[in-house]
Amino acid sequence: MLKWFKLKFKIEMQSHKSPVSKYLLPLALLVCGLILMVGFTNPDKLLNRNSNATTHTVTIFKMKYHPAHLNVKKGDTVVWINKDFFPHDVTEETTQKWTSKPFNQGEKWSKVVNEDIKYFCNLHRVMKGTITIIK
Amino acid sequence: MKTKRKNALILVCLVLLGTSKLTFGQESPKLIDTEIASVAVVANQIDIDYAKIALKRSKNKEIIDFANRMIEDHKAVIQQAVALVEKLGVNPKDNAVSQSLLKQSKETLKTLKKASRKDFDKVYIDNEVAYHKAVIDAVNGLLIPEADNLELKSLLEAVVPALEVHLEHAKMVQTKI
Repeated sequence: MLKWFKLKFKIEMQSHKSPVSKYLLPLALLVCGLILMVGFTNPDKLLNRNSNATTHTVTIFKMKYHPAHLNVKKGDTVVWINKDFFPHDVTEETTQKWTSKPFNQGEKWSKVVNEDIKYFCNLHRVMKGTITIIK
Repeated sequence: MKTKRKNALILVCLVLLGTSKLTFGQESPKLIDTEIASVAVVANQIDIDYAKIALKRSKNKEIIDFANRMIEDHKAVIQQAVALVEKLGVNPKDNAVSQSLLKQSKETLKTLKKASRKDFDKVYIDNEVAYHKAVIDAVNGLLIPEADNLELKSLLEAVVPALEVHLEHAKMVQTKI
């Protein structure tokens, strides 16, 4: 019985012609694995960005932002779409540190949100909205 | 005693007159759609005319910004109204309400032109608050209920929120003057 095993082992070993070919398959698998890992790693993660970033839409209609209050995750994008026949803008309210500048009916403007925001329409200053970052 | 009774009678008459006017007031003046379109165009043009005077006479940034906003937004409403009547193949039709609005506006234009430089901003913005209030009431109470064409009705309904935002904006400027 033991003799039979030894014989079988010998035959199997002999079926591989050289040490190189013996390691070829595991090596190829390893290389493929590495390529997969590196090649398909989400670039967002490397740049420490929110990899699940989603896009939210705020519709400007009848002189209001809908919804006027929005909860987003850090790094999400918010798109404002103007459906009124009046121009509107989206301007940071406290210090007006950024603004979309006025945009017309059917036009849109977007921003990646990384902090809580209070905004208003600098053309119609009583139109207001807020965005809150949630964990 | 006699005068008291007389006064009471006058008061009763006035109340009766007031209520009867209220009841009948809901039915008149009856406006057809082309007349409503005319009222809409005239009412918007009047506020543009007020704003143009403000641009000439005011040095206040809040007033100038507000006046520019009025010119642009009310022009947009006129464009919508004109586009609609063109689409429907009709013309805005002059009527008693449009004429009365124009007549009143002439008085206001005179007041705005005559106001001293010092008083101008206050006279202008006080009038804007009063005018927007009056126009909102007229659109809600007269023009929308009387409009038959659904597109005209929905245009008027879309204008109301803008008028309300203008009113709030005017009140905000008013507190700073």
